[in-house]
Amino acid sequence: MSDFLEVTDVFTHFETPRGQVRAVDGVTFTLERGKTLGIVGESGSGKTILSRTIMGLLPTRGTVRGGTIRYKGEEIQGRAPSEMRDIWGKQMAMIFQDPMSSLNPLMKIGMQIAEPLIHNLDMPKDQALATAKRLLDDVRIPESVKRLNQYPHELSGGMRQRVMIAIALACGPNLLLADEPTTALDVTVQAQILDLLREQRQDRNMSMILVTHDLGVVAGHTDEIAVMYGGKIVEKAPTDGLFKNMLMPYTAALLESIPKMNRPSHTRLTTIPGRPPDLVSPPAGCRFAPRCPAAQERCHSEEPPLFSAGSPGHVYACWYPVGSPVYREAIERRAKETV
Amino acid sequence: MSAITKKRDWPTVLAAAWLIGLTILAFTADYLPFIRGYAESSPEGIGFSKGPFTSFLLGSDQLGRDVFARCIYGAQISLRIALFSIIIGTVVGGTLGMVAGFFGKASDRAISAFTDVMLAFPPIVIAILVTGRFDALRKNSEAFSWLSRTWSITFVLSILAIAPLARIVRAQTLSISQREFVLAARSLGARNGRVLVREILPNLVPAMVSVIFTGVAVLLIAEGGLAFLGYSIELPTPTWGRLIAENRNFIREAWWGTIMPCVMLFATVLSFNVLGDRIARRFDIREAAL
Repeated sequence: MSDFLEVTDVFTHFETPRGQVRAVDGVTFTLERGKTLGIVGESGSGKTILSRTIMGLLPTRGTVRGGTIRYKGEEIQGRAPSEMRDIWGKQMAMIFQDPMSSLNPLMKIGMQIAEPLIHNLDMPKDQALATAKRLLDDVRIPESVKRLNQYPHELSGGMRQRVMIAIALACGPNLLLADEPTTALDVTVQAQILDLLREQRQDRNMSMILVTHDLGVVAGHTDEIAVMYGGKIVEKAPTDGLFKNMLMPYTAALLESIPKMNRPSHTRLTTIPGRPPDLVSPPAGCRFAPRCPAAQERCHSEEPPLFSAGSPGHVYACWYPVGSPVYREAIERRAKETV
Repeated sequence: MSAITKKRDWPTVLAAAWLIGLTILAFTADYLPFIRGYAESSPEGIGFSKGPFTSFLLGSDQLGRDVFARCIYGAQISLRIALFSIIIGTVVGGTLGMVAGFFGKASDRAISAFTDVMLAFPPIVIAILVTGRFDALRKNSEAFSWLSRTWSITFVLSILAIAPLARIVRAQTLSISQREFVLAARSLGARNGRVLVREILPNLVPAMVSVIFTGVAVLLIAEGGLAFLGYSIELPTPTWGRLIAENRNFIREAWWGTIMPCVMLFATVLSFNVLGDRIARRFDIREAAL
């Protein structure tokens, strides 16, 4: 049943004047029909490039792609745009980060939703507009008939993201890639949009890849989480399992850096020191080692493979995972030094 | 919106009124009793003998023709040349710019090299060379007998308009095609042609309208400059530039012969600029609210 989407050893490198940027560097995962995978990582970890690689929406110039992406058993990695057109919209659709700029400012909402219907599914215009109205109802936009004739600037950010979702859903895709769909929205609207996405996913039996930098966003809305760092997946686990037992120090650090409600006010926010690795010349060993609180000599010289943890489906890339004796000792020593 | 409509924007209203009025006058001149006939020589006005606001509205010229009537007929030719050349320039330059900005690579290099070369040439030199060539072509070949001076000047000016327009459109296309909605359209399976026509072209229009308006103003001046240098429509057809040029020797005795067409040209160029500017600002507000 794991042949819905299989991503194996995918890499995407960009040729730049400084050298080759390894934006995505050997990523492997599978996604089942109807499930949601969350991809989490900070800026520059390659998560957006990974989702664009799966969609095949990358600039052609200076891009080196490799590995295999099998969608419903068919290889789609490296296909020309003309071959991808059967997949775009009808099989896979994408929701972008910024609803302010992802709608054409000079086209009415109705036409923007109807266009892919007219051109991908050969629907007549009036029928496409009727479908557009239904889609607007589906994504809970009030007064949908009036909205069809409005322009994007007449709608709020949250509304526009709903319109984007309606457009993405229009041709009935089986896989929805949401690239930080809530980053540009305020917190109350975020929850609504995520609930809407979940609901639509369940109604339509879609799979979804939810890309975000916010562990809080993926926590309640995914079946599985992959944490990316420096172009690689460093920990992957079913959502429940990950939050119960995180093994990669980076995942733990990400969770630590979320402000907590139960701490007294004016508590210093915990941050991850340092910066994400330079993807032109990444560190020799573990890419997180330079910023890791428990890094040992081995971490700097030897890159850890993906180990399997006890629970099924949980993998992590760390020599001394959270909870191991070496890790605990290193943290204790560090705590003493700083005091 | 209400704040804008309540307070009338007088410069815009005046500019629009001037342009509309002038266009109507120019293209109906043959049917208007107060213009028709006055463009022909009349014995009572010979030798600049009548000043403005006499029986000759803006005075008479050396041959006893009414300067006002000449100016209006001149407007006919000047406006026609400027409008046609901006249209040709926009279509050709716009297409080149969109191709260069959208497809990039070799097409961009070729088109950018072409526009750079065009912009490096002094425009007056190109204009003089090309009108000369066109004249020779018309005289030597039957197939080009339609190529009157009116058309050759139009073509010269459109050649001059192509390069700057192509540049602006290229830059705009580059920035628009990086916008997320273009990627979004692609992700839904839109082809290049669709993306260009439905996503990029409409978004070019706001910027282009204001550029076109300013461009018309520049071309009007350029036509005047060419006429001033003697590269103009055959006698006796007037254009503003020719009127200014042919009466300037008598500016001491009869200022109206030169100054009146200058005022006409000035007011028209100013109007086009004001309108272009207002349109640009209008669209800016919309973009900012986005």
